[in-house]
Amino acid sequence: MKARACSLALLLMALGAGFAVAGDDGEKKYKRPKQLSVPLSAPKVWSAECGSCHIAYPPGLLPPAAWKRQMDTLNKHYGSNATLDAADEQAIRDFLAATSTVNRLPLEPSPKAGEPPRISTTAWFIRKHDEVRADVWRRKSVGSAANCVACHAGAEKGDFDDDRVQIPK
Amino acid sequence: MKYPLIALACLLAGAAQAETPAGLLKSYEQQARQENPKFAGFSAGRGKALYYSQSQASGKSMSCTTCHSADPKKAGKTPAFRKIEPLAPSAQADRFTDMKKVEKWFRRNCDDVFKRECTTQEKGDFVSWIITVK
Repeated sequence: MKARACSLALLLMALGAGFAVAGDDGEKKYKRPKQLSVPLSAPKVWSAECGSCHIAYPPGLLPPAAWKRQMDTLNKHYGSNATLDAADEQAIRDFLAATSTVNRLPLEPSPKAGEPPRISTTAWFIRKHDEVRADVWRRKSVGSAANCVACHAGAEKGDFDDDRVQIPK
Repeated sequence: MKYPLIALACLLAGAAQAETPAGLLKSYEQQARQENPKFAGFSAGRGKALYYSQSQASGKSMSCTTCHSADPKKAGKTPAFRKIEPLAPSAQADRFTDMKKVEKWFRRNCDDVFKRECTTQEKGDFVSWIITVK
């Protein structure tokens, strides 16, 4: 029994060590948010309010701390006033806080001072889109990096699968 | 014989509860009267002028038409690529039927374009114009 427990412990240690190595390595390796699907229970107030001026960005795209900053600065939302009434604001805060915990990446402030974090300036976003040429971003059919649905038709459901990307002409 | 009457009564009760652009305008009128004893009515002409007036307050020249179309019977587009349904109730039936929604967008959009809140007078002027756009 003791031997068994011992070998189990050794096995776990080996696995643990394995994870640790992968983890250490992984710190330098490329990381991106992976759990992006929007829960079916997402409140209507979230999709309606966050989806009226732009697509309702899946909460998993940013970590909780970034969403908090978004919600704290709605009066200056990338040049627009996006303020909500208190009840709607709280409901959206709660949903974002709970749903974005799947994103364990560090908060990356926007390079532009005075504005909340941007999805499109995170290291992983830039890396994932490094093959998209500047003139493609500027296409009228694309608009800008804020317009996920131009190329990712399922973006609002959290589907960003590479295989389903279609870049419009 | 009774049933059509009941149905009619229900319909009327429903209609009384649902806000209409005219009812919403009435609310603004009451508010304007309360705020200003010299209130002399709304002006559709001023409301139209407000819609088309260019403002530099935000640092770039813009007006309501920048995002809403210059023709309020047509759809517009937000700076972040979302379609905006037409503003004129003649083209989009649910416009100006929900005070909470109307107040939210006046609050945000007057700040976006003019960098200030719109007055009750301005809101009423605008609503009195937009409901006449056919």
